[in-house]
Amino acid sequence: MKTGQELRAGHVINIDGQPWLIQKAEISRSGRNTAVVKTKLKNLLNGSLTETPYKADDKFEDISLDRKEVTYSYFADPVYVFVDTDYEQYELAADDLGDLLNYIEDGMEDVCEAVFFDGRMISITPPNTVTREIVYSEPSVRGDTSGKVMKRAKLSNGHELQVSDFVNTGDKVVIDTRTGEYKSRAKD
Amino acid sequence: MTQAPLWDIFCKVVDNHGDIGVCWRLARQLAAEQPVRVRLWVDDMQALKTLWPAAELMDRQSLAGVDVCRWRAEFDADVRVADVVIEAFACHLPPTYIKSMAIKRDQGQAPQWFNLEYLSAESWVEGYHGLFSPHPHTGLKKAFFFPGFSSKTGGLIREKDLFQARDAFLKDPATADQWLAQQGVHRQSGGLTISLFAYENPAIGSLLHAWQLGDSAINCLVPEGRILTSINAVLATQLKAGDQLQLGALRLIVLPFLHQDDYDRLLWSCDVNFVRGEDSFVRAHWAGKPMVWQIYPQEDDIHLIKLDAWLAQQAQISGPALTAAALTRAWNTHIDCAAEWQQAITDQKRWQQQSLAWTRHLNLFDDLASQLVYFGQKSL
Repeated sequence: MKTGQELRAGHVINIDGQPWLIQKAEISRSGRNTAVVKTKLKNLLNGSLTETPYKADDKFEDISLDRKEVTYSYFADPVYVFVDTDYEQYELAADDLGDLLNYIEDGMEDVCEAVFFDGRMISITPPNTVTREIVYSEPSVRGDTSGKVMKRAKLSNGHELQVSDFVNTGDKVVIDTRTGEYKSRAKD
Repeated sequence: MTQAPLWDIFCKVVDNHGDIGVCWRLARQLAAEQPVRVRLWVDDMQALKTLWPAAELMDRQSLAGVDVCRWRAEFDADVRVADVVIEAFACHLPPTYIKSMAIKRDQGQAPQWFNLEYLSAESWVEGYHGLFSPHPHTGLKKAFFFPGFSSKTGGLIREKDLFQARDAFLKDPATADQWLAQQGVHRQSGGLTISLFAYENPAIGSLLHAWQLGDSAINCLVPEGRILTSINAVLATQLKAGDQLQLGALRLIVLPFLHQDDYDRLLWSCDVNFVRGEDSFVRAHWAGKPMVWQIYPQEDDIHLIKLDAWLAQQAQISGPALTAAALTRAWNTHIDCAAEWQQAITDQKRWQQQSLAWTRHLNLFDDLASQLVYFGQKSL
């Protein structure tokens, strides 16, 4: 059982007997320490899409799903292709990649967790951290090594994030994929 | 003869009187102004009685045109489902009631279901307001309805005859004096009258001190409530309803917790109103007087973001330099606010003009009760 507050992209929930994939879940704090969550949902049986709010303490039944480890293979517009350990290929559209879309790049070797419903891959979750190269960063503030000043930087796929001011173009950084936040510069 | 549609409003009292205050006003307004029958389910009759003394502590009664029912933990499964159902402030309907709603839906008579949310001036509210949410277990559709300060929200509670009543009250200055005298209040003349309805706040010490030492008289009228704890702590007193205290230029008068309609009259009678939470906060908007809002405090200081959103919305209408912005922030961060008070009250005329401009702006939008009715009609 999941609550509204626990819903994340990639989860599949049962709404009135239908399996719905959460493509996006955005929490907003309401009054008196409560919260509401706006979800973007896709019906796995008929493909219909909807944008739906829930309360943070609404309860949802999980739907039992199969999971496998996969790695990214290539982009075959408009789908992204992944392979499992048996070299079986699976496809996902950009909308179903969830947060992984921010970190996807050619040659990546990160092992991701793919979720399957009725034999079909429906969502994918990256590992908790990934290491990526910075291809662009704003100039540093002179002399700051505290790590507390942040600046804008870009990955090879165009995704932007905030990194410590001492990170330079060409550096590799560790990113927490659960929050999307920069963690540290990668050790060589 | 076809009966008017039945509306059920469910209210769980959590703390203070905001839940029941808003739900009771909404219930009364719907019953008085719309062609509907209204039933209010409330789990704490004492809370209702505090703000509507005519209420009795009984399971069912008719009050002000509303059928008021006690919402017990063991909810009667035979209760007939209404045509329109409102769950207020994130409460959860009784499971047996939801089951009955699903049965009614299967019979081709799905009730309209609203989740009436908390009031906020934040922009994200506009992206939620009016969205439908299928219930996870029954598929019944519930509309998320957000009160608010813009045309893209559900508006605010405002009775049809409210301004007429207010203007009649204010037409003759003697009316306010007479009403206050009936409450046992005899103001010092030539000064300011301030109403003070707030949560506990250590900053009250700085205000009491400033008022005490001020050049002009201040009458501070305090309906019995949580701020009295802070006042008594600062003054080392045990003031309660009926007590008065003169401290220099300040006359502090403690009133009993007021009946809802009397609370409006208090707001109208004052020059500046300190309010809190949601119900008194909305009423102060309609009084059109300068106000200082203490927002309900939340974890991680998230309430300060909501406070700033409200100030920002006002600034769009009344101008970027809101007279009472600094005072409002200081009051909500519990810091000494004597200087901010002095700055605001020195510019009292502009503060009043800004307040009136904001009130006029909000009056352009349909009120919450009407919007609920229109939304329901549109969705059929």
